[in-house]
Amino acid sequence: MAFPLRTPLRKTSGRTISAATATCLALGVAVWATLAYAAETQIFDPKTHKWVKYDRKKARSYYAAHKQVPEAFRMQVVPFKTAEKPGTIIIDGNQHFLYLVQPGFTAIRYGIGVGREGFGWAGIVRVGRTAEWPTWTPPAEMVARDPNAAKWASGQPGGPDNPLGARALYLYQGDQDTIYRIHGTPEPWTIGLDVSSGCIRMNNDDITDLHSRINVGAKVIVLMQGASLYKGV
Amino acid sequence: MNRSGIQLARGWFQLEANRNRMTTFAMALAAIQLAGCVSNQPAPGSVRNTGATAPADLQLACASAAAAPLGVDSSAVLPVSSSQVDEKTFQVVLEAKGARANCVVDTAGTVVSVQKV
Repeated sequence: MAFPLRTPLRKTSGRTISAATATCLALGVAVWATLAYAAETQIFDPKTHKWVKYDRKKARSYYAAHKQVPEAFRMQVVPFKTAEKPGTIIIDGNQHFLYLVQPGFTAIRYGIGVGREGFGWAGIVRVGRTAEWPTWTPPAEMVARDPNAAKWASGQPGGPDNPLGARALYLYQGDQDTIYRIHGTPEPWTIGLDVSSGCIRMNNDDITDLHSRINVGAKVIVLMQGASLYKGV
Repeated sequence: MNRSGIQLARGWFQLEANRNRMTTFAMALAAIQLAGCVSNQPAPGSVRNTGATAPADLQLACASAAAAPLGVDSSAVLPVSSSQVDEKTFQVVLEAKGARANCVVDTAGTVVSVQKV
């Protein structure tokens, strides 16, 4: 999803956020700037024997060559010692992992794409509702600047080209929609990258698997993305 | 062949045998070194993140441990920052309802200390 915001935008602290996001802030969702966070994802290049930046170009060429993302970003069961209940979702945007807590101190780990610089956020939310092959409606600002989005101003029907992909989990705080979602993507090579406007994207097989395993109401803990400058509540 | 000729031939064969042994030894050494290099090398397609934030489960261990000092339910405690202190420990900053705590946790998931700030 290129941009998750549906409501008119306004500027706050030098960054553009929506009225809905402001509501999120008021509700206690902490938004973080990542300005001073220099960490990056790297991939080992067996030809040069060096670690190189895993950026859009590298990710796309890797996916084209292997027809899948690097192994670390593929679904797998991992040890995960936590007191959180099975069924809880933990999102670690720094490492680009989403964990679904399982019994026996394990979790199913999926690769994710997360918010680009300045769009990271943290909070404790819940899955308010879910949808299969959801409709995507671009926000007004996006419609104004992007002709491709303009043609879907009244909503793009669900399907393989829809930015929300095969499934969407809508994240709520209390009864309020935070406007953030965990969703699929028609661009699976973007898993492992900082590309979104705050939504969490997964490849379609993974979001379909996650959707089949969770219940509406599931707790979602979004860990801080980036290391520094606190900007939120 | 006279006696000195036989000794000369013996010496040559011994030298040749030693050279072969040295070559074999050098090749074995090179193979060991190569194997060492290869085994230390990450697998193709390995990924890593250069940031030294605490693994998610360690951050959550700190969140649980910080609930009492912060006087809140553990479900309300959110890790908001983390960093690596040394090879075996991480520091995690936690927040709940405006209050903050610092937590130190080791790589085994044992909370070393929690302090309200």
